[in-house]
Amino acid sequence: MSALATGDIEDDLWSAIGDPTRRRMLDLLLATGLGTATSLSEQLPVTRQAVAKHLGVLDRAGLVHGVTAGRERRYRIDDAQFARAVAQLHAVSNAWDARLRRIKRISEEIQRQGAQHD
Amino acid sequence: MEFGTIEREMYIDATPDIVFEVVSRPEHVKKWWPDDARYEAVPGAVGEIVFGDAEGGGQAVALSVVDVQPPWRFAFRWTQPADETAAEGNSLLVTFELTAAGDGTLLRFNETGFREMGWEAAVLEEQYNDHLNGWDYFLPRLAPCVAALDVRS
Repeated sequence: MSALATGDIEDDLWSAIGDPTRRRMLDLLLATGLGTATSLSEQLPVTRQAVAKHLGVLDRAGLVHGVTAGRERRYRIDDAQFARAVAQLHAVSNAWDARLRRIKRISEEIQRQGAQHD
Repeated sequence: MEFGTIEREMYIDATPDIVFEVVSRPEHVKKWWPDDARYEAVPGAVGEIVFGDAEGGGQAVALSVVDVQPPWRFAFRWTQPADETAAEGNSLLVTFELTAAGDGTLLRFNETGFREMGWEAAVLEEQYNDHLNGWDYFLPRLAPCVAALDVRS
């Protein structure tokens, strides 16, 4: 979603990782290294078709790469892109802390200026 | 859809009147958050905050004022699609609550909304679910933030 405006977070990356099922899929791929739509669907309460669709979203966001092996595509995590997503996630979770620190600083400056005029 | 809340509490060495002005008035808000803020601080007012240069590639985000009770409470919604009325489900709700504390102010902040609305919300659930270790491996630095976060699914 473009509306968040927290700098250079990309919409694709955001929407890819913003979905709980896709995060669980990433978790499974991190744990196992490689996965297919079939192997992932066996560990999740969703159909193979749904998993395949989610893998497509993750692939477009650069978070996973698929390689065709036999009748199925095998997917693995793109470590660099995943680390980047996590770094951005971390940055945003701290965003309100930074804003609140500025609120404190600005308020206290105004208070001090007012006190000097008294 | 999953519901998440970020909560913070902070003491500020300034009166509630001053803190209220800083958290609610656009001319102050743009000093601590966006590059520009355009809204009236009255309930129901619809405006926007702008990141970057509005005339050249900047990004405007809708903001809708929900509650204004000087100097105790200011609340607004943001991130709703520009053509929609802000409501639960399409936006994040930010609330500032102030109480007098000694010579200063205790500021309570929270932001709530469905995590799909923002990264802020998305980061949270993993901290409460130890079902898988991938995120724990990549997110160790988040630990200090977690104590102040409260998530409901």
